[in-house]
Amino acid sequence: MQSSHRSDPHRERRLGFLINPIAGMGGKVGLKGTDGLSKMAREMGAEPVAPKRAIEALRHPGLRGSILFLTASGEMGEDALREAGLAHRVVHMAADPSGPEDTIAACQAFVREGAELILFCGGDGTARNVAFASGETPILGIPAGVKMHSGVFAVSPRAAAGLAFRYLNGELQTRETEVADVDEESYRSGVLQTRIYATARTPYLPALVQERKQVYSSPSEDEFKREIALFAKEFMRDGSAYIMGAGTTTESIAREMGVEKTLLGVDVVREGETILMDASESDLLRLIGEIQGGGARAMIIVSPIGAQGFVLGRGSQQISADVIRLAGPENLIIVATPHKLAELSHLLVDTGDCALDCALSGERQVVCGYRLAQRKKVIAAGDLL
Amino acid sequence: MRTKILLDEEDIPKRWYNVGADLPTPLDPPLNPATRKPLQPQDLEIIFPKSLIRQEASTERWIDIPEEVRDIYRLWRPTPLFRAFKLESALKTPARIYYKYEGVSPAGSHKPNTAVPQAYYNMVEGIERIATETGAGQWGSALSLATCLFDMECTVYMVRASYDQKPYRRSMMRTWGAECIPSPSDRTESGRRFLKEYPNTSGSLGMAISEAVEDAAKHENTNYALGSVLNHVLLHQTVEGLELKKQFEIADDFPDFIFGCVGGGSNFPGMCFPYIPDKLKDHKEMRMVACEPTACPTLTKGLYAYDFGDTAMLTPLLKMHTLGHDFVPPGIHAGGLRYHGDAPLLCNLVNDGLIEARAFHQNEVFKAATTFARSEGIIPAPEAAHAIKATIDEALKCKESGETKTLMLSLSGHGHFDLSAYDAYFDGLLIDYEYPAELVRQSLAKLPQI
Repeated sequence: MQSSHRSDPHRERRLGFLINPIAGMGGKVGLKGTDGLSKMAREMGAEPVAPKRAIEALRHPGLRGSILFLTASGEMGEDALREAGLAHRVVHMAADPSGPEDTIAACQAFVREGAELILFCGGDGTARNVAFASGETPILGIPAGVKMHSGVFAVSPRAAAGLAFRYLNGELQTRETEVADVDEESYRSGVLQTRIYATARTPYLPALVQERKQVYSSPSEDEFKREIALFAKEFMRDGSAYIMGAGTTTESIAREMGVEKTLLGVDVVREGETILMDASESDLLRLIGEIQGGGARAMIIVSPIGAQGFVLGRGSQQISADVIRLAGPENLIIVATPHKLAELSHLLVDTGDCALDCALSGERQVVCGYRLAQRKKVIAAGDLL
Repeated sequence: MRTKILLDEEDIPKRWYNVGADLPTPLDPPLNPATRKPLQPQDLEIIFPKSLIRQEASTERWIDIPEEVRDIYRLWRPTPLFRAFKLESALKTPARIYYKYEGVSPAGSHKPNTAVPQAYYNMVEGIERIATETGAGQWGSALSLATCLFDMECTVYMVRASYDQKPYRRSMMRTWGAECIPSPSDRTESGRRFLKEYPNTSGSLGMAISEAVEDAAKHENTNYALGSVLNHVLLHQTVEGLELKKQFEIADDFPDFIFGCVGGGSNFPGMCFPYIPDKLKDHKEMRMVACEPTACPTLTKGLYAYDFGDTAMLTPLLKMHTLGHDFVPPGIHAGGLRYHGDAPLLCNLVNDGLIEARAFHQNEVFKAATTFARSEGIIPAPEAAHAIKATIDEALKCKESGETKTLMLSLSGHGHFDLSAYDAYFDGLLIDYEYPAELVRQSLAKLPQI
């Protein structure tokens, strides 16, 4: 880890900083995202949101002092840093108007120049581009977009600044999280389809997952992922076929078992072997029929995706209502780290089948460690509308 | 009708009741961990006094309580039996609710009932120091009190996390002259090994047991003591139930239910074992209900099998309901109920259907504790609150059915050192843990059998 280096108070700390100036503009005019539509948004009367949110974060007192901001020119960061009176160096000259290629080029420049963290202001689309270009460098989002399904966003601009400051100070660990985004074409026409596009490391506050009287910090999130994986490895040798949804927690199970797993797709594992990779809904329906025909069970393992806690209906669309009904709703296993559960007041299901969502909701067991589970409320997304 | 049913000091029982004499199914013997053969008395002599080893194996129905022990019991015994009129009226139940309160002991719980005789028998056999472990701190403070009263030394290996979190439990032990050491420590070989392997560990009960046992085994003048699970511990705790029977005679009532919390099992068996002959011989229809956390549901979800009593697999193998000696229960607030197994005597009776068990989540338990505190005044220990939850559930059933049942609640201690847990409950920070029993069963199905 870099923590000992980061905790040296006398060195200059480098923070990559960029703003997607058009992020969030579509929200108020009902565009559900601004990818490729900023001109339309401006014409419809939308005002820039991201720069204001970014300046709100930059006013955090922790960001003053020995931090050198690496940024992109003009409205992609330079203007806001100047307004906030913070020391900065422009490492990428953005086009006018700027676009996703500028986000990518700027992040590549941040990494080259030795940024320890990339703080960006935008939405899911921005997060995808930042994650694509950041390599191993941790990233953290100041929320400003219309959609924020990714786990890299802080809850508010101020919280983002606080996390960035504490990370640079060597106080925080990082964790791996999903960068998810909806397909904006289908979203704008009313169909919600979320995909995981990448994973990235992001700083987080180690949750005191036990009681408050236990003031020592709990094991890291990665250790809990490993615990869940060890337990899963044990119960998965029962002869059933295991349909594994997307995400880093299910990926860690596959890693522990030494089986192949696509990070972003749905795969099927049985008796320690991957029998189907990147399966489609029809693949799964066919396979479940075969497995059950042979007298065995098909089980489904899913984990909450992104910041809102969807266990079904986002991220792994292949695990459809028909797939769950055929496998049997009682054969659904939810896994999640205590850290993730601590951030979510409830979990959500949205399979598109109201009766099934209803059947799956209520208090459910969520495996959160080795032979350990928590009781968590699952809500049908339709009930929230 | 009186609120408190009090006995005279002369009513402190003169004999303990040994349920081992009345078991319908004989108790399976503890096994030597090395040979897997039944344990011989001499196997235990290195860490226990002979008199306690005799009690451990005894099937005599009654065992005399030494006068020296009764003299010390006088400091807080007999404990009061309360009629919970205010709770009954808060619940609007026709049920009659009683509770026997062990929180009046100097250590604030039932633990001194066995700490005192254990210290006494060790003193009589020339032992000068007792080493023990403590998790939440209740047992450590009870044994510190007992050794202090017999002018002995006491070394308590306290789980590091509790040592840091519960400074006032430490203060109690120091006040009574005991030495309290955070475990793992550099005092013992096993402690040094744990520290080398896990430098930042917050400790565990398993590690602390290993340290205390090693300390006792390596020092001629030192023995080891355990605060629950073993037969002689449950024997000593029957002073509670024997007093209770007299108190119910005075009240001219008889319990239809006895509710008590179970971690390793000592307070609840102590309260209900003296009623086992009534249930067996007089066919009384009373029910005895062991209350445990869903986070560590030994009796409701565990396997009835031989298992080690500790994580390090140093102790004899005991036939009990177990979640596996390698199971580490999550950090719930009822620290005293975080044990992977249970007392073999209790498990035997549960297996025979004479005692039943129920499991509860943390949040509902604290809700019940709050209801109790707001009507009866006493702020209960989180452990005891599990029994309160079961009692309230039954009282509400009576409200629906209109039955006037007699419900007896064993209130094992106060919660004055657990107030941060109450704060966490009020702030909505308590997590409801569960034991994924079905998945564990699935994972164990193909494991090699021991």
